[in-house]
Amino acid sequence: PEMAAALKRTIEALMERGAVVRNLENLGERSLPYKISKHNQDHRRGGYFLVDFDGPPTIISTLMDHLGRDVDVIRPTFIKHPVSKTEECSGIIPVNYEDKLYTKKK
Amino acid sequence: MAAALVVSSRGWGKLRQILAAGKGAGASCAVLWRRGCSSQQEHVSHNEDLPIQMENPYKDPPKRCVLCGINVDYKNVQLLSQFVSPYTGRIYGRHITGLCGKKQKEISKAIKRAHVIGFMPVVYKDPTFLNDPKICDIRHPE
Repeated sequence: PEMAAALKRTIEALMERGAVVRNLENLGERSLPYKISKHNQDHRRGGYFLVDFDGPPTIISTLMDHLGRDVDVIRPTFIKHPVSKTEECSGIIPVNYEDKLYTKKK
Repeated sequence: MAAALVVSSRGWGKLRQILAAGKGAGASCAVLWRRGCSSQQEHVSHNEDLPIQMENPYKDPPKRCVLCGINVDYKNVQLLSQFVSPYTGRIYGRHITGLCGKKQKEISKAIKRAHVIGFMPVVYKDPTFLNDPKICDIRHPE
């Protein structure tokens, strides 16, 4: 419905500036954790969408302006693509507190 | 000669004996060599009886924290809410959660991100996650 139209608009804006859209995920529609007021409107429910895209970093500021002006978009956020590497976690190494104390005293 | 060298340290004495015999030294020289080699042998055996320096084989594996293999994401609000107070929504400190340095930092960063994006409530804990299993060592005052 309107959400689909809003999504389409954002993706078209992305493509116009030369970004390659990799993936689009719908994280569901739920009630927001707190009331967000944007564009003289209060919102309590919203749909969450995650767009993976590759693009030049110069377009981010222009995109923020564009999405800020869009009435349907409540909160635009840009995050770096997370690179997950948790296989090196080697447990809690016991710290020698005495040594720490004395070396810092210098 | 090379074969003789390959022989273990115990064989030192024997090698010296062979050398002495081969060189055709006098009986006294042979005796001296033999004495030398016997002391060598004693020295060697004394050394071999001492404990070998090695890493403690009975060491426990390093203690792991609760999240030691798990990838922390700003999207799974349930996991993040477990480290947040149900009454005020404040993030628990390291002495309460018992996490390692890296994981505590990751969790706090993810929680703050989720606050900003509008995923997780800031001043309270989401009521649907109130009955989660307790990970943190919190003791509420009576």
